[in-house]
Amino acid sequence: MGKEDLVSSNPLRALGLEKTEEGDGHRAGLVMARAGLGKTAILVQIALDSMLRDNKVLHVSIGEGVDKTRTWYDDILNLMNEEKKVEGFQEIVADVMQHRMIMTFKESGFSAAKLEERLADMVQQDIFKPASLMIDGFDFAAPESESSLVELKGLMEKNDLKMIWLSAVSHRDDTRVSDNGVPAPCHEVDGFFDTVLLISPEDNALKLKTLKCSADCSVDAGKSLLLDPATMLIKKA
Amino acid sequence: MSVDLSNVRNIGISAHIDSGKTTLTERILFYTDRIHAIHDVRGKDGVGAKMDSMELERERGITIQSAATFCNWKDLNINIIDTPGHVDFTVEVERALRVLDGAVLILCSVGGVQSQSITVNRQMDRYNVPRISFINKCDRTGANPERVTDQLRDKLGLNAHMLQLPIGLEIDLEGVIDLVTMKALYFDGENGETIREEEIPAELKDAADEKREELLDAVSMFSEELMEAMLEEQEIDPIMVKEAVRAGTLALEFSPVFIGSAYKNKAVQPLLDAVEYYLPSPTDVENIGLDLEKDEEEFAVSNDSDDPLIMLAFKLEDGRYGQLTYVRTYQGTLTKGDTVYNTRTNKKVKVGRLVRMHSDEMEEIDSCTAGDIVALFGVDCASGDTFTDGKLTCSMSSMHIPEPVISLAVLPVDNQAQVNMSKALNRFTKEDPTFKTFVDHETGETIISGMGELHLEVYIERMKREYSAEVEVGAPQVAYRETISARAEFNYTHKKQTGGSGQFGRVSGYMEPLEEGEYEFEDKIVGGAIPREFISSCDKGFKKSLQKGVLCGSAVTGVRCVINDGSFHAVDSSDVAFQLAAIGAFKEGYMKAKPTIMEPIMKVAVEGPSEFQGSVMGSINQRRGMIIGTTEEGTYTVVEAEVPLSEMFGYSTTLRSLTQGKAEFTMEFALFKPVPKSVSEELIKKFQDEKKEK
Repeated sequence: MGKEDLVSSNPLRALGLEKTEEGDGHRAGLVMARAGLGKTAILVQIALDSMLRDNKVLHVSIGEGVDKTRTWYDDILNLMNEEKKVEGFQEIVADVMQHRMIMTFKESGFSAAKLEERLADMVQQDIFKPASLMIDGFDFAAPESESSLVELKGLMEKNDLKMIWLSAVSHRDDTRVSDNGVPAPCHEVDGFFDTVLLISPEDNALKLKTLKCSADCSVDAGKSLLLDPATMLIKKA
Repeated sequence: MSVDLSNVRNIGISAHIDSGKTTLTERILFYTDRIHAIHDVRGKDGVGAKMDSMELERERGITIQSAATFCNWKDLNINIIDTPGHVDFTVEVERALRVLDGAVLILCSVGGVQSQSITVNRQMDRYNVPRISFINKCDRTGANPERVTDQLRDKLGLNAHMLQLPIGLEIDLEGVIDLVTMKALYFDGENGETIREEEIPAELKDAADEKREELLDAVSMFSEELMEAMLEEQEIDPIMVKEAVRAGTLALEFSPVFIGSAYKNKAVQPLLDAVEYYLPSPTDVENIGLDLEKDEEEFAVSNDSDDPLIMLAFKLEDGRYGQLTYVRTYQGTLTKGDTVYNTRTNKKVKVGRLVRMHSDEMEEIDSCTAGDIVALFGVDCASGDTFTDGKLTCSMSSMHIPEPVISLAVLPVDNQAQVNMSKALNRFTKEDPTFKTFVDHETGETIISGMGELHLEVYIERMKREYSAEVEVGAPQVAYRETISARAEFNYTHKKQTGGSGQFGRVSGYMEPLEEGEYEFEDKIVGGAIPREFISSCDKGFKKSLQKGVLCGSAVTGVRCVINDGSFHAVDSSDVAFQLAAIGAFKEGYMKAKPTIMEPIMKVAVEGPSEFQGSVMGSINQRRGMIIGTTEEGTYTVVEAEVPLSEMFGYSTTLRSLTQGKAEFTMEFALFKPVPKSVSEELIKKFQDEKKEK
């Protein structure tokens, strides 16, 4: 199995992510779960899928260090290799990692304006122009979160970012949901997102439910994706 | 003879450059009565700090070579190794950590956790060294020990908690509040030598109570007694807290944080108490030896002074007193006049003099016991050798030594310089395993190689100063490697029948890339196609070929050579003939095996004000660097990248001018990677041109 097969056999194909990147559209996605269920693993797999298709990804990690975030990528790639026995794996890794940059902020230090400033530093000098943006650790409970999301949408359009994915923590004791079933604290901002995935522990499995999906998405209503609890790799149900 | 090892502490002092560790060591020596006056690192009095014994160290204000010293604090015997702060001298830090039981990590209260602190912390993790932290320079503008403690948690992943609170900060730093005893400590007298204990100032009482609660919550998990006392809301005995902190620290699950200002003589003595309370004695640490008679089976050394001797030579120095070997005794007792046995060379040597080092001064002693760090005179050995009394055949765990990544040619200006340079290189290579030297037979040049520009620069300076060896220095060269990326077959016949006895040998087989390791040889000959006695000749021939690749003349690594056929001549075949046949076979196969040139890639971390982030990233990008990530830390940003070493020459000057001198960088070897095609072509052309010139 080579790099192309890694892309074509990826269960994420069901979400039609590649269609957005090929066209002129911009898509915003959200991965939700209770703490510790694997949001970062999903974001990293979405990022890797994009990187394997030669797109540049900026991974913004709020509250985690560069090394820890980097380890997620290394671990997920190694697990994918263990499972699929990829030919020329080391070369693929070396090539794919050229397509990623990690930017970390402290919880209190992140703002859309600051991100835009840092991004401009890189884009203007032609150092790194991302096609996708992953934001892990965004605080949806913060009072200014809605305005930050609007700013992020503006940033996405201004920088022609095809995809932006965020992660959010849901809480067992907060039962509020939107009409689409998007749980708090994102229930009031689900209009911002085209795709919303929810990691839900059910029947001794971690289901990756598609709460909301854009037109490109082909996940059957009755079938959801799964998350292997041992490896955190996405599987077809 | 037994010594109470619970009163011994072997500690290292490690930190980022300029966080004041040499100043701190100086204060420790003063308070423990080893010195009677305090001198500054960049001393206006021209004396310099005690531990920076080398002239060069005093001049540059940095510690290059670690010096061992010994002091007494109350009933405690403390052996201190002062370790270097620059990453180019990492081997010194690593060697120190290998033999020490605990460490003090010094941080600047303004700079916080910097790139070198991360490297040092990683090294401490590697050797399971329990550590306490000292946030120094709390008298400086911008001091923020709480922020630094947060960084210890966030950046180093330590379960760090402050055991003290500052009384005032920056210019107003007066003393500290001990959160264990809940007392305020002030340091009076000209050199802060008189400790005044008072009640906590009223305005800080609430903050102290709150921090103490946090501390107790954090350490209660290490002591059931403490947890019970807290649940039953009993009064908490400070001894109970100390025991819990100690248990957590020794288990590497808790990291106590102390604060102060060594320069202003504030709170150094409580740090010494902390060394006693919280860092391990030799008996608290399990040290592992390798039994050489049982295929290097691991065993725990006993730490018992009455057991057979085991000691490790971790540092060599050839100073004005002659050859000095620093050793750590793991078990047994060594007495002056004893004969010890080097388990690597199987040689016996008599220990004529035994000394305890105090920077560059020494104190003669008659014996040393388990847990001690001392120096021996007149013992010929290499760094990392294990000595026993002959009853045991074992070795202490080997030390992690990285391969050199940079080299340069040194040319002595005259005959006297040549003699002196040889002496100097002989000493340096024995002292420092990351510093290597060899003569390039084609150019006749002496090449020195090491871990970075500064590393080599320091040795050149030392050659000049300590050995009066005036040398001309060539441009630094990157230590490239060659390797193959495909399997290729060879079938080569070496035949020479002109004059004298003939030479004949045919070697056939294949070579293929070796994932791990430098070289492997396999003999798959059946039916005596090559006689047994010439198999090793083939191996020798291949090994010779590895020394210099044909692409750019660099060493070849990652190759597995397999021979499966060949032929010989009853009269004309010989060792030399088969060596030459193997060399020919290697050449034949090598070019078919898609050889590539690999270059050392350095992990670079540039830390500076965020406003310069764009320029810093641009400068890395221009150097073929791959930016891994950026970390925003308040007004500072750290840019982490992987950059080819060949592109990093002169980077400090570039960085200075780009950032008005406000950014700094560290780099360490990360991995070898194939060079891009354009660079490869350039290197090959350069090598061909050089060959033509010769």
